[in-house]
Amino acid sequence: MAQTAYVGLGSNLGDRGANLERAICELDALGRVTARSSLYRTVPWGRTQQPEFLNAVVALETQLAPHALLDELLAIERRLGRQDGERWGPRAIDLDLLVYGNERITGDRLSVPHERLAQRAFVLVPLAELDECFAPLRDALDAGELAGVVRLEGSERAGFAAAAREWQNGMPAETTFGIAARARALATFLSEDDAVRVRIARGDDAIEVVARGRAWARTDADERAVADNAPLRVDTIKSDLVGIFHFGRPAPVEGEVLDGDRELGYIEALGIRTPIRSMGAGRLVAIAAGDDAPVEYGQPLFSIARG
Amino acid sequence: MIANRGEIALRINRACQELGVLTVAIFSEADRESLHVRQADEAFCVGPGPAGRSYLNIPNIISTALITNCDAVHPGYGFLAENARFAEICRDHGLTFIGPEPRVIALMGDKATAKRVLQQAGVATTPGTGVLASVDEARAAAEEIGYPILLKATAGGGGRGMRVVDDPSELARAYAGATAEAEASFKDGRVYVEKLIRSPRHIEVQVLGDGFGNLVHLGERDCSVQKPAHQKLIEETPASHLAPTLRESLFEMAIRACRSVGYTNAGTLEFLASGNDVYFMEMNTRIQVEHPVTEMVFNIDLVKEQIRVAAGEPLGYEQRDLGARGHAIECRINAEDPHNHFAPAAGTVSKLVFPGGPGIRVDTALYAGATIPPYYDSMIAKVVAYGDTREIAIARMERALRETMVEGVQTTIDLCLEILATKQFRQGRYDVEFLPQLLAAGTPAAAS
Repeated sequence: MAQTAYVGLGSNLGDRGANLERAICELDALGRVTARSSLYRTVPWGRTQQPEFLNAVVALETQLAPHALLDELLAIERRLGRQDGERWGPRAIDLDLLVYGNERITGDRLSVPHERLAQRAFVLVPLAELDECFAPLRDALDAGELAGVVRLEGSERAGFAAAAREWQNGMPAETTFGIAARARALATFLSEDDAVRVRIARGDDAIEVVARGRAWARTDADERAVADNAPLRVDTIKSDLVGIFHFGRPAPVEGEVLDGDRELGYIEALGIRTPIRSMGAGRLVAIAAGDDAPVEYGQPLFSIARG
Repeated sequence: MIANRGEIALRINRACQELGVLTVAIFSEADRESLHVRQADEAFCVGPGPAGRSYLNIPNIISTALITNCDAVHPGYGFLAENARFAEICRDHGLTFIGPEPRVIALMGDKATAKRVLQQAGVATTPGTGVLASVDEARAAAEEIGYPILLKATAGGGGRGMRVVDDPSELARAYAGATAEAEASFKDGRVYVEKLIRSPRHIEVQVLGDGFGNLVHLGERDCSVQKPAHQKLIEETPASHLAPTLRESLFEMAIRACRSVGYTNAGTLEFLASGNDVYFMEMNTRIQVEHPVTEMVFNIDLVKEQIRVAAGEPLGYEQRDLGARGHAIECRINAEDPHNHFAPAAGTVSKLVFPGGPGIRVDTALYAGATIPPYYDSMIAKVVAYGDTREIAIARMERALRETMVEGVQTTIDLCLEILATKQFRQGRYDVEFLPQLLAAGTPAAAS
């Protein structure tokens, strides 16, 4: 059963607005982002030398269990935190699982509601904007703390919004963009319009989607259209093995419609060929591994849109 | 290829780098951000967090070695280090397993058989049985040997699958517990009975052999400071208060044992010493956690020697060329709660300062911000102190531990400091009962 989780977002590094947008887009791939707060600027206090944080909270409708969701949040942090080609890039995004349905969990790895929820103005202010239940907690904070959290207005907000739009429209090549979000974006796109050309440049981890004369942009109307349709599922087929991956014959092509179960390739390990099958019909939206290339455990090979 | 994780993976990587050998690391999904992944020349994910599906995933590990054109596999300690089948599979795929022959690993890995074979070679062993078929057999054997007895897993190590049985009424429960734990830890539930030697010291001998029949020992280590589950916490070399004749007889037995089975590469023979008696307990056919103390006093790099010997080089020195100098102590820093039965503490390390200065060596894979996954051993660092005398080494260790700061998880640092401060430790008059008694007596660390 789908649950509504509230996820807190923060960024104080790089293009903070774009970081939040990317993260929200990836969160959307974990279910559906049903509401988002305004953006807030959080003035650092104490002796912190850090730049200002940009904060927001989103409501995420998801089928994932709390710990699985936490794992996905950490995975998004890792993906977006990494700079191109650098394993240990600084963290550009901070994601916190604040609330998960009515669940109460206390543990080493995860506590929901978040254990410091009641002390954090930069969380409570946007959270209360989405859910009135949290207003009393917010109002209990002292004025000094509340003053540190400033809602973006006017030109400041427009600046971030423009940056976000630019990112959404252009998807610049340097964007590090997770496979799940990429596949979902593509699948959404393909499900709406069959007569398009799709090109995926994998080496620099970027995608380019070209439709007849118009760049793809996701609008609120699109969002609603997708939401109204039957939920679209994208399966990522990952490698369980370490070995050399080979394409099947005929070689799979991105965009290919799979009528039924098809052998897309195989992994050769210890002299044994293990077939990689499409596990049913769908549309092959992404080929993530190269032909005759080494693959490791957990490495995505294909993304297939079902339904 | 380095088929391990954590500090020992770094240790092996360091030896390889100094030898100009390229390395391939393996890692689990939980270790993606680990230092060994970053420092190796190449790294491959072989499975998810739980070790059974990653660091013990033989097909993926071997496949990694093959597709990266590795020549040899260093297993470190734990995981697959004493898995004869793995060593055999390596060999069958043209990979050099850095350790003794699979035949020797299998022999020594079966503790009951190892005891029998070495007994025949003239090594003193504790009175005990072969593998038991049932609890009734255990009962009969225990009656014959006399309580108290020890139930031990034949595939065991690190205190797992081991139970002390003081009288017959406890036997059935202990037998069930030991077999279940052994089955879970080693996928081999077989156990045997051994006479419990009261308050022994745990003394072990480091050996090293090449493929040409050259065998040397590199002194002994006293590992008697053990937590209640027989897990070592502090080790030192040389062992204080070990009579010179007893020491010589240990060395002589160790070499004789190795010669009798055709031992090659690095290994450790563990003995129990009680009064003027020593008994062979078991042999570990791999590098040990506590190998650095030996390296410090012998000024030798055991991991490099392992690699050199495995590559077919002769040792190039004899016993008389070797000499130990000074005293070395190792303290294991574990992420666990000494106040709560050493429960492992997973978490993220927020602040981290390691000691330095003269005579101090730290082997660790930890860094500030690192997350300690819940799946693996809780040891996060080894602090080693060297000095010309035992007193100097202890003073250095105390100084080093006070410099150490690990925030975010609970550790054994304060407990180690308390142990170092006790009269028994200072005087070198401690045995394996020392730490459990200290904890039971309610030291400040255990009580607070």
